[in-house]
Amino acid sequence: MFQQNLQNKTILVTGASSGIGRECAIVLSGMGAELVISGKNEERLQQTLQSLSLGNHRLLAANLTQPDAVAELVNKLPPLNGLLHCAGIWKPQPIKFLQPQTARLIMEVNYMAAVMLVSQLLQQKKMLSGASVVFVSSIAAHQPYKGGAAYAASKAALEAFAKTLALETAHAGMRSNCIAPAMVQSPILIQAQTTVTEAAMQHHLNQYPLRPGVPNDVAQAAAFLLSDASSWITGATLHLNGGIALL
Amino acid sequence: MSIELFISQFAEQFDETDPTEFTPHTEFKRLNEWSSMHALLIIALIDAEYNIPFTGEDLQTCTTIADIYQIISRRMGSG
Repeated sequence: MFQQNLQNKTILVTGASSGIGRECAIVLSGMGAELVISGKNEERLQQTLQSLSLGNHRLLAANLTQPDAVAELVNKLPPLNGLLHCAGIWKPQPIKFLQPQTARLIMEVNYMAAVMLVSQLLQQKKMLSGASVVFVSSIAAHQPYKGGAAYAASKAALEAFAKTLALETAHAGMRSNCIAPAMVQSPILIQAQTTVTEAAMQHHLNQYPLRPGVPNDVAQAAAFLLSDASSWITGATLHLNGGIALL
Repeated sequence: MSIELFISQFAEQFDETDPTEFTPHTEFKRLNEWSSMHALLIIALIDAEYNIPFTGEDLQTCTTIADIYQIISRRMGSG
């Protein structure tokens, strides 16, 4: 398999305590990147840290919805060549029963955390010239589904933010892009399975022209966008969906 | 909390079905109006009104409205 090179790159990975974030951290470390992994749960971050390929990796636990915690995290960071922002939550609620606190929580974790983190990274001058920022968005930002109003809105907001960041930082050679995966085998899929039914989820998974995703699919795309191989790509969204958007 | 109240909350999620059709013995999945959207609405209704975990898998096991109410009662009792 074509091996992408991330040697001599220091990259912050958020949401690294589980799911897509953890898999991305493992894959990026295997490509030679030096990582700072972050997430809320220190114990699970330790498990991720132990799974990484050899290297000078660090763990900094933080709750990214708290402004002070974000500023403190950024203060401790080394200068970065890249940020892979995987932190996110999912909770379905039909609009008729969409509770303000649920909508706010989803926006805070999926959108506001990114805003505060990137703002602090720029203010504290932690992004090196040529740095690449990658946000994990979702197919939901482009294709709505029932019960997904708050989640889809948060990811659409994230994509608009990423494009603005691309414009505002291009003069420094910085890049900002999104990955929009469809259904990936992750804790969120397990959560979705119990919310609908396993049969309904299986029906959805059977529709993929290629196949549903695995975390490694997202990790490989993230590695490409973080590497110099993608140095002319900014303000873009890379759609990973096994062809389901064609239907 | 009573089954009468739950039945009226359940019935409110329907626009075309006559409210008198909803009883404890109603086999809700056989209603003409029943759809996957109603499944989502009932799960969200139970979350909003009763604040207990209730999943699609739970709904799958239920045939009548009383079946759903029994699960709610049991979980509220143990909570």
